[in-house]
Amino acid sequence: MFVFRNNTVERFFPKEYSFSGYDDISVIPADANGYVWFYQAPMGHSRETSIEEILGYQQKFDFVLAQTDANKTIIALTMEDIYTLPLTDDDYAVRRASEQYNAFLFEAEKKHANLKVIDFSEFTRNYPAADLLDWKFYFISQMGISPKLTKDFQAWWQRKIDSIALKRKKCIVLDLDNTLWGGVLGEDGISGIKIGGDYPGKAFAFFQKSLLQLSKSGVILTVCSKNNEADVLEAWEKNPFMVLKKEHFAAYRINWTDKATNIRELAEELNIGLDSFVFVDDNPTERELIRQMLPMVSVPEFPTQPYELPVFFKKLVEDYFKVYSITEEDKKKTEQYKANAARVQAQHSFSDFGAFLESLDIQITIEAANEFNIPRIAQMTQKTNQFNLTTKRYTDADVKDFLSNGWKIWCVSVADRFGDNGITGCIMINGDEIDTFLLSCRILGKGIEKAFIKKVMALLKEDGIVSLKAAYQPTAKNAQVADFYDRCGFTCVTENADGSKNYVLDLNAADLEIEKYYHINLK
Amino acid sequence: MEEKVLEILKNVFELDTVDTTCSQQTCEKWDSMGQLNLVVELESEFDISLEPEEIGEMTSYDKIVEILRVKLSC
Repeated sequence: MFVFRNNTVERFFPKEYSFSGYDDISVIPADANGYVWFYQAPMGHSRETSIEEILGYQQKFDFVLAQTDANKTIIALTMEDIYTLPLTDDDYAVRRASEQYNAFLFEAEKKHANLKVIDFSEFTRNYPAADLLDWKFYFISQMGISPKLTKDFQAWWQRKIDSIALKRKKCIVLDLDNTLWGGVLGEDGISGIKIGGDYPGKAFAFFQKSLLQLSKSGVILTVCSKNNEADVLEAWEKNPFMVLKKEHFAAYRINWTDKATNIRELAEELNIGLDSFVFVDDNPTERELIRQMLPMVSVPEFPTQPYELPVFFKKLVEDYFKVYSITEEDKKKTEQYKANAARVQAQHSFSDFGAFLESLDIQITIEAANEFNIPRIAQMTQKTNQFNLTTKRYTDADVKDFLSNGWKIWCVSVADRFGDNGITGCIMINGDEIDTFLLSCRILGKGIEKAFIKKVMALLKEDGIVSLKAAYQPTAKNAQVADFYDRCGFTCVTENADGSKNYVLDLNAADLEIEKYYHINLK
Repeated sequence: MEEKVLEILKNVFELDTVDTTCSQQTCEKWDSMGQLNLVVELESEFDISLEPEEIGEMTSYDKIVEILRVKLSC
């Protein structure tokens, strides 16, 4: 790219760009692969001279436009008066001249397909005047923008170039709980999740509406969420405040498989390259998983507060989805992708999932029930629906009672390098039978459940228990654990008409080996 | 401070090696644009604002260090 300019701007553009002399159009190199026109408003004191200069720039631009190859792109930046010195309050002559110059550029753009005009104010408006211009560097190096803004300008420029080249991302993968709505669907229920109504539901509704607009511009929306599919379908259908519903998503993966596998499948199903995906999830562990497993997928940080969603959305669009213009084709994209999507349910095996878990530095703390954690244990039995094998609800008094009757009760807290989730699971053993085993769904997907139960089994074995009994009691919410004990090596001894199952396991023969990357602390 | 200056010179002028003899005479990329880049880096690294007179004198490693010593001690 060859840059026509009237100030020192070399720092702001990529190294391979070349530059005209200051305010010099005598040379128009034919071998450049494209041109940039970046003239800034003159800093002169005389308004008449400044206005004339701006008019002169306009004529020069017209000349350059006429001389250049119509097959080569010319990118022209609009003129912003960063420094004006009107001597009276009603003196806007220089600004008006800049506006005329800009209007001229936009007019020319209509007639020349190879001309793209970029609104420079989109960059400048982010900074106060004192930051935009550093007079010291203006006087010693003729810089019309402070060199301190180099990195910001370069990043902005790259985005502009990408949007002109239509290099925008194609598809956005959205989490649901605490991303598209507040709360956890599996815990709070269809009417309990926060969407619409008062804050924070209002902020999530705003976010959903923004995404709907984005999808109308041709960006494909998909969902990847750890949830029960039936619950989500019901929420989409029945929650009256839901803006984004099933029909707005080209594809979705609502299951308990890890998200990297799911996103690979979505890419295959939609036939879109993984480098065209942007992954939006409130959970930092999920984000890190995708960054590590699928480095070509873009993973922006997600705001911690719902009121930050509008700013997050704006940045999301600017960073990944801005295009120079939108065609009719773009607007139909979601429909096309939906129609084309072949539901390939490929099974991918992960050789490196363990490496990911290892990198998380997972700390599992197992603690016997005591007066401090009993309220939390009772609360978990009341609230946990999804990963709950028997869904028995207990009070503090019940738990204390069990302890005095000789039950063994442990709770588990999980921390990794992204933070501490606190106490998020518990197990209760009555004699030689597991009465209750539950985990909060926010820690699922890391194999914690198996590590926890294996450690407990080892403790029971030490206590002399040989044959351990367990049961699964189905509910509307806990389908995901229907075969949990089977996966843990238990033998199913009875299967009842209501779907409940009874199991037994010989602890002497059981595999109690725990992967080394779970760091287990016993308290 | 000296080491940071050397590192900045190396990065700004894209040198393979750098030593204390580095100056505008010996360094190909140390032109007026290079000078500008150098000043911006020095200002942000040491959190100072260099005066135009000082910038004008910064033509070698030795002079940079001399100016920075005065600047950073007060």
